[in-house]
Amino acid sequence: MRWKLPSFVLAVLLALATAGVATAANGGFTPVQPESPNASHTQTAYYVILGFTSAIFVIVEGLLVAFIVKYRRRGRSREVEGAQVHGHTRLELIWTVIPVVILCVIGVVVFLELPNIDSAPASTDPIHITVEGHQFYWQFDYVDSPNHARSIGTMHVPVGQVVDLKVVSPDVIHSWWVPALGGKIQAIPGRVNHFWFRANKAGSYEGQCAELCGVFHASMRAVVQAESQQSYQHFVSKYGPETIGKQEWNGVCASCHGNLGQGGYGPSIASNTLLKQVAGLDVILRNGFTGSLGAMPPVGKTWTHGQIASLVAYMRKHIYSASAGATSGG
Amino acid sequence: MAARSEAVYPVGWKSGRVASWLVTVDHKRIGILYIGTSLMWFVAGGILAILMRSQLATPGEKFLTKNSYNEVMTMHGTTMIFLVVIPILAGFANFLVPLMIGARDMAFPRLNALSYWLFLLGGIVLWLSWFAKGGAPHAGWWSYPTLSENFPYTSPGHGQDYWILSIHILTLSSLLGAINFIVTIHNMRAPGMTWMRMPLFVWAIETYAIVLLVALPALSAAVTLLLLDRTVGTHFFIPSHGGSIVLYQHMFWFFGHPEVYVMVLPVFGMISEILPVFSRKPIFGYKAVAFSTLGIAFFSMLVWAHHMFTTGLGTGLDSFFMISSMIIAVPTGIKIFNWIATTWRGNLILDTPMLFALGFIALFTMGGLSGIFLAAFPVDWQLNDSYYVVAHFHYVLFGGSAFGFFGGLYYWWPKMFGRMLDERLGKWHFWLLFVGFNMTFLPQHMLGLLGMVRRVYTYHHGGLWEAYNLISTIGSGVMALATLVFLVNIWRAHVLRKGVRAGNDPWLGDTLEWYTTSPPPAHNFDSVPYVTSARPLRDLRRRLAEQPQ
Repeated sequence: MRWKLPSFVLAVLLALATAGVATAANGGFTPVQPESPNASHTQTAYYVILGFTSAIFVIVEGLLVAFIVKYRRRGRSREVEGAQVHGHTRLELIWTVIPVVILCVIGVVVFLELPNIDSAPASTDPIHITVEGHQFYWQFDYVDSPNHARSIGTMHVPVGQVVDLKVVSPDVIHSWWVPALGGKIQAIPGRVNHFWFRANKAGSYEGQCAELCGVFHASMRAVVQAESQQSYQHFVSKYGPETIGKQEWNGVCASCHGNLGQGGYGPSIASNTLLKQVAGLDVILRNGFTGSLGAMPPVGKTWTHGQIASLVAYMRKHIYSASAGATSGG
Repeated sequence: MAARSEAVYPVGWKSGRVASWLVTVDHKRIGILYIGTSLMWFVAGGILAILMRSQLATPGEKFLTKNSYNEVMTMHGTTMIFLVVIPILAGFANFLVPLMIGARDMAFPRLNALSYWLFLLGGIVLWLSWFAKGGAPHAGWWSYPTLSENFPYTSPGHGQDYWILSIHILTLSSLLGAINFIVTIHNMRAPGMTWMRMPLFVWAIETYAIVLLVALPALSAAVTLLLLDRTVGTHFFIPSHGGSIVLYQHMFWFFGHPEVYVMVLPVFGMISEILPVFSRKPIFGYKAVAFSTLGIAFFSMLVWAHHMFTTGLGTGLDSFFMISSMIIAVPTGIKIFNWIATTWRGNLILDTPMLFALGFIALFTMGGLSGIFLAAFPVDWQLNDSYYVVAHFHYVLFGGSAFGFFGGLYYWWPKMFGRMLDERLGKWHFWLLFVGFNMTFLPQHMLGLLGMVRRVYTYHHGGLWEAYNLISTIGSGVMALATLVFLVNIWRAHVLRKGVRAGNDPWLGDTLEWYTTSPPPAHNFDSVPYVTSARPLRDLRRRLAEQPQ
């Protein structure tokens, strides 16, 4: 009688788990579908570990449940002792050595996969992109492009070409992660880290900052847009002040100040005349600003003068309005 | 005459109902104070957890703001680790170590009292940070710089300073406690109690104390440097002035990983006490269990950088820390297999303490196995800082430590208070907690693999993300209900006085604490039997049974 409830609960849990697996094929039981060689090899290592650990899991939990069922009290008195076994050296050696062997196998598999995960295929000619984690956006510098193209929030890459990332941060620790394109690497102030991937097919791959970086950590998302070589070249070549201004507004300013500058987490700025002044804005963007309502991070610490000018041009045209709301200084 | 003798022996203020607890240097009372205070913080930290799960039940910013989410998340982690798991285990150790080794008290009773009061003070300081200028700390329980530095856009105000001060106080408390345990265990064991006849819980506390002594100073140093950075303008962790953030990561995790074992080794000890008693058998392989504790402690100090695989340390260091992390799985595995073998051919009495002990094995195994994925550093690059890690360490710290200490509470409750907790409510507590725990944390593995990062107040996907998050939130509600059942159980036993009075030895235990009355007198024992094995009470029972009546 006392076993009915537990075994019922267990059965329900098992049924739920199986149903979950059945209905949601890869509903989170393995890392997301890999679309880059490093991610695929990580997946392989994951499967190998999953195989061994599943087997151990079944054995351990199986033995535990079997012993509980088999050796349960069954109305025996508390005084009745079990077999007074104090140990068994050979048995204990066996369950020491077998895990060692399993761990060795896992270790070997990891080290075999490692070169394919850690370093890009040597023969290819990679494109280089510098990833800068900022509070609270990602900035991408296409260092190979003749016009020093830059984008914010969305990284454009050609399909099938190795992308070599230099990952840095000017403010706090961030962590670069696009699950389909491999693992994470931290962007640490004062340090340069490297990472690579090669998108197997066109598409947009989502990711986000994985290291707590402050109040907007959850919105620090990134998209990698893998596209044809032509589209990529077109994107890089058409880069200019008119494109970056809009990205800056949408990817950086709008997350705090609202899409129209109407205010949100940060104050309303739509009617603030600073929006029209390159010089004044330059100081705030580079150094941050502490006002009565809170602090603004130095979001534009690494921006070029032209970048700030194009932001001002964009804001003049689309955001600034002398009559938008009451006076507000920020 | 009677009136006169009262005048001669007046009842001092120190014997008052409350005052006697305030001035006590009795290890049993200090232990109970520790446990009671920790349970209070457990409820407080649990409420924070429920707040977070409520916010995450659906996407959006509907319940907590993003600012307060970061505060709640930081306070939950710090509270559960520094104010619940470590001190509740210190409480058990305080209550049990002198009783188990047949001693009168701890070696330094006043120092012991100081440890407790420092712990209480540290907790109060931490929770006062809610009222600090700039709000509670919000840089996570690791407080990585530069996010924890005093810049206007990182951690201005005083919340972070309160956090540092509280860590300093708590560290001091734990260090004093650790020294006390080591001295007590080395010097005050009963006649005949050699190292190989010592209860395994005492082995665990010995090891726990040594690990604390080695690891805690690194934390104190790290937060001191952080405090200097924040207050007097040094730049230890500010790279733009030549400081190093990675240095902080090393210092923090050099403490942080041994810390994990500090939180679980004493629980291993409890399980090694509970399982044999409720299997009516000796522990399987006493020496293997005792020495694997030492092995885990040793290797725990060589694995810290597996928390830093995404820092970019390079293949050499990553490989070293992967191998050392995998090695630590071996002694842990030995323990699990020995525990299971302990139940083999036993007479398993499935009372509440045993249910929690068996639940511990089931859940801790899961946490150990998910740890293997995280030790393999290329796989960790995928899983690090995702909800997979959140699931992993909750299987270790809640499925492991918390299930263990609940088992310990049910087991030693009659010894502490002289009354049994109700078995029926205890079983409800266990099953609700077991189901709720798995509902909460099993889906978090999947969320992490799907790409959900930790420490976010919201997420941007529907479908499975939303489903798993909702299941997890419902599970946390079930866990809250289970905790309520536990509190009702205590209330029923003590306020309603319905708890059955326990004799000296209600479970037919093996160790010396069951030799004395429940609760024990202030001086613990009138006399202590000569210890001839690791199970002195069983020896005694057998000798009594052999004697002709």
